[in-house]
Amino acid sequence: MVSQKALQHAEKCRFCWMCRHLCPVQHQTGKELNTPRAKGLLLSMVSKKSAEFDRDMAQAMYECMLCDACVNDCCTGYQPPLFIREARTEAVVNELAPEAVMQLIENVETSGNIYGTVKPSFAREGTDVLVYIGEVAACKVSGMAKALLNILEKTGIRAKVLDNEPASGAMLADLMGYVEEVTQQASACADAINAAKLPTVVVLDSYDAEIMKQRYAEWGCEIKAEVVTATAYVAKLLEEGKLAPKSKKRGSGVCHDDDRLARSFYEFAPVRAMAKAAGFDLAEMFNRERLAKSCGSAVALGYMPEITIKVAGGRWQDMIRTDAKAMLVANPQAYLCLSQCVPAEKELVDLFTALDESL
Amino acid sequence: MIKRILVCVKLVPTATSVEMDGQFRLKRDGTSLQLNIADVSALEAALRLKAATPDAEVVVLSMGPAKTSQTLQELYALGADRVILLSDPALAGADSFATAKALVAAIRCLGDFDCLLCGRRAIDAETGQIPGQLAAALGIPAVTNVQQLTARDNGFLCQRRLENGTAQLEIAAPCLLSVCEYTYPLRLPGIMGKRRARDKQVEVLTAVAVGLSAEECGLRGSKTKVIRVDTRAPGLRKCRYCETDVLAEKIREVQL
Ligand code: SF4
Ligand code: SF4
Repeated sequence: MVSQKALQHAEKCRFCWMCRHLCPVQHQTGKELNTPRAKGLLLSMVSKKSAEFDRDMAQAMYECMLCDACVNDCCTGYQPPLFIREARTEAVVNELAPEAVMQLIENVETSGNIYGTVKPSFAREGTDVLVYIGEVAACKVSGMAKALLNILEKTGIRAKVLDNEPASGAMLADLMGYVEEVTQQASACADAINAAKLPTVVVLDSYDAEIMKQRYAEWGCEIKAEVVTATAYVAKLLEEGKLAPKSKKRGSGVCHDDDRLARSFYEFAPVRAMAKAAGFDLAEMFNRERLAKSCGSAVALGYMPEITIKVAGGRWQDMIRTDAKAMLVANPQAYLCLSQCVPAEKELVDLFTALDESL
Repeated sequence: MIKRILVCVKLVPTATSVEMDGQFRLKRDGTSLQLNIADVSALEAALRLKAATPDAEVVVLSMGPAKTSQTLQELYALGADRVILLSDPALAGADSFATAKALVAAIRCLGDFDCLLCGRRAIDAETGQIPGQLAAALGIPAVTNVQQLTARDNGFLCQRRLENGTAQLEIAAPCLLSVCEYTYPLRLPGIMGKRRARDKQVEVLTAVAVGLSAEECGLRGSKTKVIRVDTRAPGLRKCRYCETDVLAEKIREVQL
């Protein structure tokens, strides 16, 4: 049902149970099925023909944020997202995926984004860099996108944003795995970016940056420009003294390292540099950097809002254990999930907006 | 127009070390297998030709043990129209001559093709002889070591990899092209492709079905025999890398 490589990962588990303590979905649902090792065990049973891949099993494969926390910590090199993505492909192929997932896929097919709406355009002409906004920021967290563009403008950087910006494939890949339909989106996206003929593409959403930087080349649709996360790009502007934030104290905050920055890019310093420049005194959560806990993803919020909001709540619990007042976020998906359940007397801060306001 | 394309593929062990039996044959049981890396390029080239030509047909042919049919079945999801496995215990242990002979017998059963694509070599045996042997036996022209392929009206324009660069060659169909590894990354299967593939089965041919006698098969039909295999003992090479100043010192020592 899944590839030999995926099955090898599914069967690597040595039952130490460490991953039980770090899976954010398992934490919040308490379901044994939601431990990474249980998902591997299910697929192993299917491959040995002692169980059928049915709707319940498909549901279990979707109760995962693909956050990679289990990959980061498992001593066997076990990679649940690898087989979970393949199992999702099987679920879609065999029409066993949850209805809400199929609805999101249909939205992507009809409108190009998971929301099934016309994506607001941020199109502008510019000759220095191309900014890739992404569908979550464009449709749901537009303030973050506007703030990034403002910051660049204040630095004198002429940023171009594509009209009808194509989807990167990141959303579809989370919904149905790495399949041809995803590579078709990737290919169209790479073509559009390459046609802009700019040396750098600044990507606001790290989920988009991850697929562009780590998948496109192997699919034969390489982006010719240098792909840079928006956080790294802005932090470099700060480092080079091209941005001059006014010194205004904004109180204490903790930076949330989003799943992709934390475990695909190991990128931690830029977000903190932005937070300091925006006037925050930094505190830290125990679960930070590579050990950061997921707060959910936009796709998961779309097909399983209840669980995702619980997972976001779990992240707020991490923050509450510190003395900080604000959760500082520089990723639109993380912002969207955390914004669903902001605790009383705590503040959710979009770091791009905070920095823009301080300039 | 290129309408019928045959791709020959081999499944090779994924492991970095494999054992041999008493007759110096790779023990393939118990090892996981994957498409040979150069064959990946050949298959993708065929699928691209198919996509560019309405009604084109891609037939995949492989020779190997019966257990490979599960992996070969996945090729339907990529867009192969027919997947054929030539599998018979009598074929085991074939050298490149006997392998080519068996493949040619199977190809003749499958009808005429405009183009035959294969990888330039398999990473397990590394002879690189099969493409040339197939072309010679079928009596068709061949370009080996292709690293770029463009379909023309009745043939192809090929970029051929050479020792000191490349050469552009035109070849008329029907022909054989052997493709270099890393030329074309293999597409991923799509949802629709996977759905279509669910009901398709790999067609299995036996040696008898393609008209081969026992004398022509496997070890008996082979022209070569492996009589000894040596492994290189580590540590025999004495060369080492060093900085230029250390190198200059060594050169001075040698001159002395
Ligand atoms: S941490 Fe790894 S080995 Fe331990 S139970 Fe989880 S998957 Fe298995
Ligand atoms: S990827 Fe994240 S959510 Fe999914 S099983 Fe692993 S730890 Fe849990």
